[in-house]
Amino acid sequence: MSITERDDSGASHPAIETVEGKRGYELVVAASFMVSVLATVGLGVSYWLGGQPQIEGALLFVTLGGIGIGMVAWGKYLVPQGPYVQERETLKSEILEREAFLESLERGQRQLGRRPFLGKLLGLSVGLFGIINIFPFLRSLGPQPKKALFTTPWKAGALIVSVGGAPITVDTLEVGGIQTVFPSYDVGGAISQTVLIRIGDTNWTTLPGRETWGPNGYLAYSKICTHAGCPVGLYQELTQQLLCPCHQSLFDVLTGATPVFGPAPRPLPQLPIYFDSKGNLRAQAGYDQPVGPGFWERG
Amino acid sequence: MITQTADWFDERLGIAKWTRKSLNKIFPDHWSFMLGEIAMYSFVILLFTGVFLTFFFVPSSKDVIYNGSYAPLRGHSVSEAFASTLDLSFSVRAGLVMRQMHHWAANVFVAAIVVHVCRIFFTGAFRKPREINWLIGTGLLVLAIVNGFLGYSLPDDLISGTGIRIAFSIVLSVPVVGSYIAFFLFGGNFPGNAIIPRFYTLHILVIPGLIIGLLTAHLAIMWHQKHTQFKGKGKSNRNVVGVAMWPAYAFQAGGFFFLTAAVIAALGGLVQINPIWLYGQYVPYKVSYAVQPDWYMGWLDGAMRLMPSWEIQAFGHMIPTVFFPAVLLPGITFTVLGLWPFIEKKITKDDLEHNILDNPRDVPWRTALGVGVLTFYVVLFFASSTDVLANSYSLSLNFVLWGFRILVFVVPPIAAIVAFKVSAEASEVPSTGKRKRAVAIMRSDVGEFYTEDIEPRSPAHEESIEELPEEIHYHLLKANGRELVTSSGGSIGQSDSLRLDSDTDAGSRQIPGVQIVDHGFFGRKGSTGGRSKRNIIGRKRR
Amino acid sequence: MSSWISRKLAKINGPLAPVAVGTLVAGFGFIALYPSASSAQSNKTGNLGNYGYTGSYLYGSNAQGKSGEGLTYLKLNPATIPYGQSLFVENCASCHGVSAQGTSRAPNLQGLGAATVDFWVSTGRMPLADPSVQAVQKPSRFTRTQTLAIDAYVSSIAPGGPAIPNVNLGLSNESAGESLFSTNCAACHTITGAGDALASGVFAPSLYSATSTQIAEAVRTGPGNMPRFGPSTLSDQQVADLVKYVNYLKNPIDRGGIALGHVGPVTEGFVGILVGLGSLMLAGLWIGGRAK
Repeated sequence: MSITERDDSGASHPAIETVEGKRGYELVVAASFMVSVLATVGLGVSYWLGGQPQIEGALLFVTLGGIGIGMVAWGKYLVPQGPYVQERETLKSEILEREAFLESLERGQRQLGRRPFLGKLLGLSVGLFGIINIFPFLRSLGPQPKKALFTTPWKAGALIVSVGGAPITVDTLEVGGIQTVFPSYDVGGAISQTVLIRIGDTNWTTLPGRETWGPNGYLAYSKICTHAGCPVGLYQELTQQLLCPCHQSLFDVLTGATPVFGPAPRPLPQLPIYFDSKGNLRAQAGYDQPVGPGFWERG
Repeated sequence: MITQTADWFDERLGIAKWTRKSLNKIFPDHWSFMLGEIAMYSFVILLFTGVFLTFFFVPSSKDVIYNGSYAPLRGHSVSEAFASTLDLSFSVRAGLVMRQMHHWAANVFVAAIVVHVCRIFFTGAFRKPREINWLIGTGLLVLAIVNGFLGYSLPDDLISGTGIRIAFSIVLSVPVVGSYIAFFLFGGNFPGNAIIPRFYTLHILVIPGLIIGLLTAHLAIMWHQKHTQFKGKGKSNRNVVGVAMWPAYAFQAGGFFFLTAAVIAALGGLVQINPIWLYGQYVPYKVSYAVQPDWYMGWLDGAMRLMPSWEIQAFGHMIPTVFFPAVLLPGITFTVLGLWPFIEKKITKDDLEHNILDNPRDVPWRTALGVGVLTFYVVLFFASSTDVLANSYSLSLNFVLWGFRILVFVVPPIAAIVAFKVSAEASEVPSTGKRKRAVAIMRSDVGEFYTEDIEPRSPAHEESIEELPEEIHYHLLKANGRELVTSSGGSIGQSDSLRLDSDTDAGSRQIPGVQIVDHGFFGRKGSTGGRSKRNIIGRKRR
Repeated sequence: MSSWISRKLAKINGPLAPVAVGTLVAGFGFIALYPSASSAQSNKTGNLGNYGYTGSYLYGSNAQGKSGEGLTYLKLNPATIPYGQSLFVENCASCHGVSAQGTSRAPNLQGLGAATVDFWVSTGRMPLADPSVQAVQKPSRFTRTQTLAIDAYVSSIAPGGPAIPNVNLGLSNESAGESLFSTNCAACHTITGAGDALASGVFAPSLYSATSTQIAEAVRTGPGNMPRFGPSTLSDQQVADLVKYVNYLKNPIDRGGIALGHVGPVTEGFVGILVGLGSLMLAGLWIGGRAK
């Protein structure tokens, strides 16, 4: 079969023949569409019965795949593939068009150019409007950081409690035990989270000047990694190391959580603690340095 | 009914005129041109499934007690975002399939973009006149990665919450303004309770809007400039050889959309992704090991793992260690990527229009550079799973990490050198044609043996085919120009420029003989399906 | 112009009409009769009827036993001590010494408690195959009776240490267990219990092959690098809840399909790229073909 097309300009185009003798492909296309229809019916039934993810996924695959294969096969085997040739237009405009364009542009500029002062005023008013009106938006988004990154909720005398709110006594942790603790007034706090580790039975000094910070073998460190702020929760008891799960920074528990491996640049800040007269664990003071990752203002 | 509708539209919009041009548009045949389509179709699937998800997802950090159908989390205090994602997964009909399809489509979307970028790079398709589209494409890649991360964070589960925590630290590390940006973005110090609704607005409105806008521009420019094509018979810098838009290409591309949807549906229904019910609600003091971001953030995560613990402290200020791998590295990466066409132009001083693609082996230096850089990022990508690799192969974590610190500097140069050698070896020597030419041994009537080339590919022959259309084109332009000169005559004013606009289509029709260079010109092809039987401007090849 | 389009479209229009009408009728019929189509927005009541869901993902019971009843401790039979002693001398004494006092090659076991010995022996970690690397789980060399006899012998040498726990899963609550697991265990064993590599060649093992008793023993005794969780850190009931959740993790609800090893985005990324994009590129190869 051959069709001769005639477009509105009256010119006769070379005809494009359809592809004949492709009975096999027609059957493939028809079969694909039929499979798709059947799968869609199945999908309907599956939805009706309440649905099940794997059945839905498999049937969707068959449904969509059937349509896809049918369409591609139709477009690939049952219609002529060419190759046809199409010329590219020159992207660049013709010289006369460019001149006309520039002429128009310059004419407009000449007409505007006579009032430079108005132009500057327009720039000022629009620019100022834009800048000034960003501020309410920006300032409402959140508070200024101020000193927030330098401090934590911990303060002197804070009662140390577990996630469940129970105070910590000498017997709470066995040697080789670990627990996440908070000040009693900020349980679950993202900034005040602290790991409490018991490394032995006797007082432990991690670094000179921290002689009273490790009563009865209890050591408390900020749980926020100094690298990217992940909770440092992996305690390796035999090697006495804390590992950060995100980027594998390794801290040595016995020597003040100094980083020994990985990308963390600073030790985890240590919280000075003591057992009060009732035997409950309390903070001697807050952290002596900002906790967590670095930031610009931190010297 | 359809007939009347079409008539109705044509009378008002003149659709027949410009759609005919589009229907006859030629698309070159090559599988690698399908990569961008995979990305586009994945994006369409993301839109469809994403709209479905928005009907059920509640973007709120407000605490609720979960009492839904997933027993192991009943009674837990969770955010509304997490609870609604659980309900979406367990109670909404087809909800989990939609959610998983959305996630898989995002993974495939970015992967397709990356491979598409590689194809464009290695074949030099970014060269003049396509620099703008390369820039737009770079923007699309960045937006796709950012939106992927935002969407991954929305369910507020333990793994993604840890990712948000890292993101906060990364923003914090920006010099001078970091802490302000972080506090403004999160509505205060971490964790705040503003981030889920804000990420939601960005994820479903702002960034998809930008993607749609840029994608439209990307396609419009590509449509206008027409596809590039590989070297081949009858293909020149001035033409496009391939299948017609209607119906062959339309059916193939439409079918490909359904195939893309089918593959993503199969993954979405059969392969579990991000089972947040096993991860649980994000709580700042909880953490899981083996926390990784989705794959397209992997190279950043890997870079953060490999980065030594260098922190710059001076003059009362600090540049934290995460700044280098997580801010500086992506900044440099995407700046250089986006500006590459201009950088290469500085190197090659090549200002010609290129519509014929390079075979990567013919430009060894670019291929080597691309392979080297790509290898660098692939090594970083693998470095993001140091813990999983150490666990799977029973290696020491420290050993694996140190191994990667060395590999990341050693492997890329080696890969680049190998790529250079291989492509230089395989490249075609200019003006000698193919390296091995088939030769037939013939015997003359008198019994003398001689050789004869099979299928002669003499350069002169090729050129005569290629240049012919250019001559015609030249005539058209001259005809147009003459028409302009004669009709405009005097000075060019407003009325003239208006006439110019309206003249572009009609003008060509008025000139006799111009129809053959209409945009929709078809060569004629024999009905037997032989590839080589083709007419160019009525002239038979072979 | 219009007549030209009419002629073209008339050819397509005819045969399509009945198919289209039929499709529409079937579609609307389906929607009209669709069960409980009105319910859309989710709520927190957990009323499955709202969604018409008939699947069977409802898992476990919410039954919560009285505090402490989920975990009981085993009383070892003193009559088995001699048998345990003979097994110990035969298999363990070469390193740990005849009376488990420890040698230069192995630690002192006295006072560590029955649970410690039971964990190491029942998980097959002891006797050790290679002292240079972390002990790994392997089939135990002893039967349960033999193991308990060894436990009885070692714990009879010196008092102290936790006894062997026995978990009553019927009296424990997996929801409470999830909370404890994500707080205390997920950091090393991962939130899905798959395990992962820690620093310096140490591994947090997968929990999938551990028995209830072994999990409880590990919590209480802290084998190897694992921290120890005593009764004042985690109550007996909490340990039982934890064990119930870990048991759930061995065979969790993978409603989404193939679980990919429960290791998260790493395998997901590979599947997305290799299977997803890979198969689509093959489809593209079929559609687009190579350069001609």
